[in-house]
Amino acid sequence: MSTTTPRRQRRIGNLLRAVPAWTYIILSAAVVLPPVAWIVSTSLKTASGTLEFPPRWIPAPFSSEGYVGLLTSTNFRFFANSLIYAGGSIVLALVICIPAAYVATRYRSRRMETLMTGILVLSMVPAIVVFIALYSMFVKTALINTYPMMIVVYTAIICGQTILFLRNFIENIPVEIEEAAAIDGCSRMQILWRIILPLIRPGIAAVAIFIFVFVWNDFLVGTVLATTEDMKTVQNGIVRYITTGFGSFWGLFAAFIVVAFVPVLAIFLAFQRWFVAGMTSGGVKG
Amino acid sequence: MSTESPTRSQRNAVASPSSTQVSRRARRDRMVWLYVLPVSAVFLFVFVGPLIYTAWTALHETSYYQIGKFSGLNSFVRLFSDSDLPSRIWTTLVFSLGALVIALPAGLLSAIVLNNLHRFTRSVRSLFLLPWLMSQATAGTIWLWFLNPNYGPASAITKSLGFGPTDVFSSPASALVAVTLMTAWWSYPQAMLLFLGALQTIPEELRESLKMDGGGIWHQFVNITLPYLRNTIVSVVVVLLMLYVQMVTIILVTTRGGPIGSTETLSMRVYNQMFDKFDLSGASATAILLFAVNIALTLVAIRFRRKESL
Repeated sequence: MSTTTPRRQRRIGNLLRAVPAWTYIILSAAVVLPPVAWIVSTSLKTASGTLEFPPRWIPAPFSSEGYVGLLTSTNFRFFANSLIYAGGSIVLALVICIPAAYVATRYRSRRMETLMTGILVLSMVPAIVVFIALYSMFVKTALINTYPMMIVVYTAIICGQTILFLRNFIENIPVEIEEAAAIDGCSRMQILWRIILPLIRPGIAAVAIFIFVFVWNDFLVGTVLATTEDMKTVQNGIVRYITTGFGSFWGLFAAFIVVAFVPVLAIFLAFQRWFVAGMTSGGVKG
Repeated sequence: MSTESPTRSQRNAVASPSSTQVSRRARRDRMVWLYVLPVSAVFLFVFVGPLIYTAWTALHETSYYQIGKFSGLNSFVRLFSDSDLPSRIWTTLVFSLGALVIALPAGLLSAIVLNNLHRFTRSVRSLFLLPWLMSQATAGTIWLWFLNPNYGPASAITKSLGFGPTDVFSSPASALVAVTLMTAWWSYPQAMLLFLGALQTIPEELRESLKMDGGGIWHQFVNITLPYLRNTIVSVVVVLLMLYVQMVTIILVTTRGGPIGSTETLSMRVYNQMFDKFDLSGASATAILLFAVNIALTLVAIRFRRKESL
């Protein structure tokens, strides 16, 4: 008996200590979840159900109207565009950033550091500042509404973070491996291709996830640099309901949001650790 | 200065111990620059070129994106003599600092709670991260629908409590508060992630020893956590401020800067001048002001980053 009582006391003490933490968690759930639950609920309502007041949280009757209504060629185009932009940006960013990150890590010189600092500083310039110039330059030429230009712009925006992140990965590879390869007669390109690339595969995966989510979630590039409907992105598709909406579009709008969020959520749940690693690499902390 | 051939590097590598290899590595080598050429080209095209173009258009008269004749600093004179500018700067300050004051403590608290949690860690982390997983456009529009004065649940609650409908976006003050809160709601997980990374570097022994001395949670927070996080707090402040100063999307999808300009931050003003008023030179001048603010923040960030990594 004498041993169980303190143990029980300690357990109660632990429970008591957990109270403030769980109070905070419940409070944040109360702040985070309502709009999300409301959107899911709206997406499962009939068109007239969305305009009921006072609103119902649980749809009655349940309806797949919103989701079925999404099956239009315009909407497919939005999703296809976002996929093309994301895929293109991943490929282009990796092709240009891996060599740069490698050289910047292994062949440090004053000038190289200056260049890398310059790239980092430039990638922190507010997007809207360069977008107005890009728009007025593009709109006079045939460059507006083209896939390559959109991909180049997306790539430029995420390049700084990509290089920073890849550099951290390459730094952790022991130089001795590369030296041994150099003794065996590998050229620099071969070292990069045959030794570095396989070793930084996890880093590449994290970067690819980061770029995909960035491009998928970005609204501004599609708003400014795609002026025709057939070049717009998923996020433009969401906002389109609000800005041009008439009649009862809320069910469609909510369903669109849910469908647009599914890829990001799926990636997050599947690769939680890499996801977080890739996302926090940016900002100021190296 | 010579290009590297396999035989040469081989001879060097064999002949010299690792100390001289460092100097070989540091030797200037032209081929190295080929590796950074594509990145540099992309940055010249997307950042450097447009920045120069922006400065150029700010110095000229423009009509409908056509550059007219040289007008010197006219657009800057116009910018600074605009009676709206002080209120736009005020809005930017209220918006940025308001969101910061909410997101910073929320991020820190979430990180501390998450770091001390032993069960349900994954679920709670997902819950805390949820707003930030959404796009800014989604975050803005779902709140717009939630707060809808006619059909939204928020309106149902306020009406049943005897207040009117939640018509937050129709009055200037409440629109600014709403946009600021939404932005804080969306962005606090970013602060949380940065804090979480820093918290995990606090050695466990430090806390254990404090626990032995009988220190409470508050004691631990003030004496260990806060001093340990001092650097991180500064860098999170800079990251968040940069995010808020350049925030366009959340404002654009909810209020477009209105009503009567009450939510028009400097970034939003650039957008509106460009795409609503077709005033390219005016937008360029505002953009350059915004750029100056950003450079100041970047300098703090870089100085800070150096300190932290070295």
